[in-house]
Amino acid sequence: MVSLADLFGYAFLVPLLMVLSFVIVGLAGTRLKRFEWGGWLAVGFAGAALVVGVLIAAAELMDPSRYTNVQFTWFHLPAAPGVFPNGFSLVAGTLVDPISALMLLVVTVVGFLVMLYSIGYMHHDHGLPRYYAELSLFLAAMSGLVIANNLFEFFLFWELVGVCSYFLIGFYYEKPSASSAAKEAFLVTRVGDVMFLLGIFIYFYYYATTGPSGGWAANGFVFVRGTTPFLAGAMGGQSTVLTVAGIMILGGAAGKSAQFPLHVWLPDAMEGPTTVSALIHAATMVAAGVYLLAVTSLFIGFTSTDQLAIVAVGGFTTFFAATMAVVHPDIKRVIAYSTISQLGYMVLAVGAGFAMVGLFHLFTHAFFKALLFLAAGSVIHAVGTQDLFKMGGLRKSMRVTAAAFAIGGLALAGIPPFAGFWSKDDVLSAVYSQLPSHPAYWPFFVLAVAAVFLTAYYIFRAWFLAFSGDKPRDPTLPHAHEGPWVMQVPLVVLSAFAVGAGLFIFWPNFQGLLLHGAGAAGIPPVYGPADLALSATSVFLGVAGIGLAWALWGHGKVFVLADSSPVQPLRRLLLNRYYFKVGFDWIGAKGVYTVARAADFVDRFVIDGTVHGFERMFAELSDRLRRIQTGVVSDYAAYVVAGLIAVFVLLLFVAPYLVAKFGGG
Amino acid sequence: MTLPILSLTILTLLVGTVATFLAGSRARWVALATSAVFLGEIALIFLGFSGWPGYNGALVPGFSESESYVWIHLSWMRINYTVGVDGISLVLILLTGILQVATVIYSWGESKRPAAYFGLLLLTCLGSFGVFVALDILLFFLFWEAVLVPMFFLIGFWGGPQRRYAALKFFIYTHVASIVMLVGLLALVFYSGSSSFDFSSVYAGARSLSAVPQTFLFLALFFGFGVKFPMVPFHTWLPDAHVEAPTGGSVLLAGLLLKLGGYGLIRWAVEVLPSGLHTAQPILFFVAFLSIVWGSVLSLSQRDLKRLVAYSSINHMGIVLLAIALDSSLGLIAAVLLMFAHGIVSGLLFMSSGSVHHTFGSRDIASIGGITPTTPALSTLIMTGSLASLGLPALISFPAEFTALLATWNGLSYWVFLPLAILVVTAAFYLWMMQRLLFGTPRGIPAGAHDIPWYEGAGMGILVAFTVLFGILPGLLVNVIVSSPIHGWPGP
Amino acid sequence: MSGLPIVGFVGLSAALLAVGIFGILTRRNFILLLIAIEIAMNAGILNFVYFAAYTGGTAGLTGQAIAVVLVGFAATEVAVGLAIVLALNRLRGSINVAEATELRR
Repeated sequence: MVSLADLFGYAFLVPLLMVLSFVIVGLAGTRLKRFEWGGWLAVGFAGAALVVGVLIAAAELMDPSRYTNVQFTWFHLPAAPGVFPNGFSLVAGTLVDPISALMLLVVTVVGFLVMLYSIGYMHHDHGLPRYYAELSLFLAAMSGLVIANNLFEFFLFWELVGVCSYFLIGFYYEKPSASSAAKEAFLVTRVGDVMFLLGIFIYFYYYATTGPSGGWAANGFVFVRGTTPFLAGAMGGQSTVLTVAGIMILGGAAGKSAQFPLHVWLPDAMEGPTTVSALIHAATMVAAGVYLLAVTSLFIGFTSTDQLAIVAVGGFTTFFAATMAVVHPDIKRVIAYSTISQLGYMVLAVGAGFAMVGLFHLFTHAFFKALLFLAAGSVIHAVGTQDLFKMGGLRKSMRVTAAAFAIGGLALAGIPPFAGFWSKDDVLSAVYSQLPSHPAYWPFFVLAVAAVFLTAYYIFRAWFLAFSGDKPRDPTLPHAHEGPWVMQVPLVVLSAFAVGAGLFIFWPNFQGLLLHGAGAAGIPPVYGPADLALSATSVFLGVAGIGLAWALWGHGKVFVLADSSPVQPLRRLLLNRYYFKVGFDWIGAKGVYTVARAADFVDRFVIDGTVHGFERMFAELSDRLRRIQTGVVSDYAAYVVAGLIAVFVLLLFVAPYLVAKFGGG
Repeated sequence: MTLPILSLTILTLLVGTVATFLAGSRARWVALATSAVFLGEIALIFLGFSGWPGYNGALVPGFSESESYVWIHLSWMRINYTVGVDGISLVLILLTGILQVATVIYSWGESKRPAAYFGLLLLTCLGSFGVFVALDILLFFLFWEAVLVPMFFLIGFWGGPQRRYAALKFFIYTHVASIVMLVGLLALVFYSGSSSFDFSSVYAGARSLSAVPQTFLFLALFFGFGVKFPMVPFHTWLPDAHVEAPTGGSVLLAGLLLKLGGYGLIRWAVEVLPSGLHTAQPILFFVAFLSIVWGSVLSLSQRDLKRLVAYSSINHMGIVLLAIALDSSLGLIAAVLLMFAHGIVSGLLFMSSGSVHHTFGSRDIASIGGITPTTPALSTLIMTGSLASLGLPALISFPAEFTALLATWNGLSYWVFLPLAILVVTAAFYLWMMQRLLFGTPRGIPAGAHDIPWYEGAGMGILVAFTVLFGILPGLLVNVIVSSPIHGWPGP
Repeated sequence: MSGLPIVGFVGLSAALLAVGIFGILTRRNFILLLIAIEIAMNAGILNFVYFAAYTGGTAGLTGQAIAVVLVGFAATEVAVGLAIVLALNRLRGSINVAEATELRR
């Protein structure tokens, strides 16, 4: 009998389907007269992938202790004396376990819904074959990343999602700001990638020389479930090189997940279509960094120094990003900052040792953040602007969107029983439980708790600005109306998830999933509000934030800060994003480019100048030497005689002298 | 009696070259036919390749399909016609074949004295093939010099406005280096006490030399081969030569001529003079790091697309030098893989900059831009080439750079951070170039500009195909490389 | 023959050589130049003859043979030289060697 679990070997179908979609839509799409069909084709492929993803997740939920590793040899070097004494092979394959099944579910569900939503949202755009092809390729790469069974394969897909993100941010390539943002995103994440690469090198080297099978016989570099992390023994000694490796992995994750100080690219990435922001820059790709940290902590292991660094980066980013969201007038960027902030929570949890808690937050966040973005997309689609201060009163004409945005906001703010409450509370209580043994976590815990208040405030500030009041503040805006059904269905489905995804935690099978996901290495996750006082505090902070937002911005009010207000400098600082982007631009455009220009000058005038100097020297020399060539026979005769005399002098006087002095043979 | 396939290939190329020179207006067809036969012969060479663990019946130990005939016989010295392949040369021969056919197809529309143009292209490939198979010092030097001449004429006759300057600079630089190299090679023969110019005999003699003579010999050879690399600060001939050379010339210059330096260094210096390499290692590391940084940083400030790619070549060949200098088997594998990757990818990039020049009449990134709507195919190719060159996985450069950096970590530990950091700069100049040239609002586009002709697309398409093929399955190449030298790989 | 004063003969040929070289360096007239060359050459021939006589025996025959050959050389040299003089005179109307500098470049 065929059981659901047999599907595990077929997890590769998900990336394969999406690659097919990429090829077919990308190639055939340009031939179609009306592209409508191409879009639906891509949706169809995404739907098929969704079915596979859901079935795999279901099978995993039925029996959470299962994991299935299917692999083949990617390349194999035969044993060669002096080269690889035992041969050496690198494998590629798929690993389906609780973690990857969970992630696969997120990727396929959000991917399918966003694809569907795109049919309505992108209706009027040009270059749709490119759009759907790139989105398909992204989904292929992302699902490949999720089920990769070793770090090399992981890195391959990691870079591919980065490139897809680059293309999709720069989708409107004729817009200078879009192509600039795409470049910035690629470059900043590249900094992280380079660190990630070094981390892989260190781990690989360590694994190859001290790994279980010893020497270069190391049969690939696989995440093996059900065993302790292979570096666990080495970590007891606080190895410096492994600490460095951990920091490098953190760097890679920080680049992808836009953590401080590599966070600058994510707000600018909002230049891409809103659907892209929802799928890539909120729900899936940016979460890959967290996923990387989680699998590394579970399968490889971090040293305690690494853990502190991860907690510090996560906790600080949580608060840091939230402050910038407080003042921003652009609806998409507010949500982008909230993404950075929420990713900070996940990083915080993983750093404190609770990888599965971080992944649980990732799970709920994917749904409510995609919901927020798609709702914002609906608004932008309707009114054609992203400026919150031009909107207003939209709840009357866009009821579904207003409700969806509100549900997403409540989930984000951590109000029970919405999804965000359960996972965020898990994160906080998990970190709280570590405080007695790790007092150094205290400041970051406090920052994370404080960020709860800011989160609730800024997301409801956005809601009130956009939806409350009587009419838009900018009278020139077109009359808003809801999008077609393809845009509303995803909103409704995601709203359901945003309400209910957190309640999964009370389902024993889901608990089992998290428990087995943590495996032998992780600290088992905490279920539900473990500490009532902490939960009460965070809920109180959330409600207070919403209250403040209502007081300042409710009923269509606009809260204007006086120019003379002492908070103005702070506001300017926040609006300018702590001058981080200015600084990065300065380093990139001024610093490095100036060095490059100087180097070019050196190359042209010093190095090549030396060459030309030699050239001129020889030319000059030969010009002078040429002059003794007079053409007069007697002159030449004189040279001959002079030479003759010189030879005589050498032979008769110099040579005997030298022989006498040094002896001769 | 087995088929003397290597001599046969040399003969085919020779006949093909002569026929091309004489073929007049049908030269491109003759060149294409020659390339096709060449590819077929490469396939035969692969089929006959003995592979690991060595080839028992081989005349020259460690080399497969070797042939050796006495050429000049003196009482105290024998000079032979000896050829043979091992894994390293085989990979580079494959590169030669791929680049030759791609270049011939790309240059299909050449109208200025096509017979001579195609003939010189084939002659360059012939010389490179000879260098890769020659196992006798005189034969090696003969082929080595044979490459210079066609390239000199390609630059000097079909080149851009500064072609005479560039051709002369190219020739003088490489020739001076050749002379130093020749002195080094001859010294190698005489110091090693070898009674013939053959690789195996020189190899046996030289490896037993003490460290001091080995070091001096190594340094002489390193200078000779290094200028071809090119190593900073002897690199300024390269950008000039590339900027002025016709596209086909540029492709072969970057794809093959630079590889000659790398191949020569591995074959005639690293394998033969291990103690010399060991002593000279700091110098090699310094030069390699300098080239990596210098090439990358200078690319950032270039406005001419071809010049940018030329400087990026310096950067990539710097990584090759670094990998060679590591003196580890992983490093050598990486070096050969990188040379192959760079040959393919830089060929693609030089072809696309040539197409930019044909289409828009200029290569100035700062004055033309936003070309994607006008030439979508060309833009896609430029994008593919750039992404491959900056090390995107699933494209050929990635496994090569990855192996090289892994080897660097194994050999030099934290020093690997320098080339890693430079990877960011490399990404930066490609992305910035793409942003300015491909994206944004169209500017500087002449009226009537249209997408590239089919043959240019086909030429580049071949290279893209190999970029993807070996990007996904680098094991195909690695297996060949590893199976090669019985001449003691250094440890992993 | 062994009693010949060696210094005198060598001194004579040295003096002839000096005269010849002086002539080569100072004369501009082609014919005088040829004569000077002949004088210098004869100094050499004289040395051969003298040393052949000084050595004596069959070994000395070599020197005498070379001297005879050199006389032949000198004759051909003069023949070629005079031919050049005639050609030069026909070409330029002058046999001043200082003016014949076309081969300089």
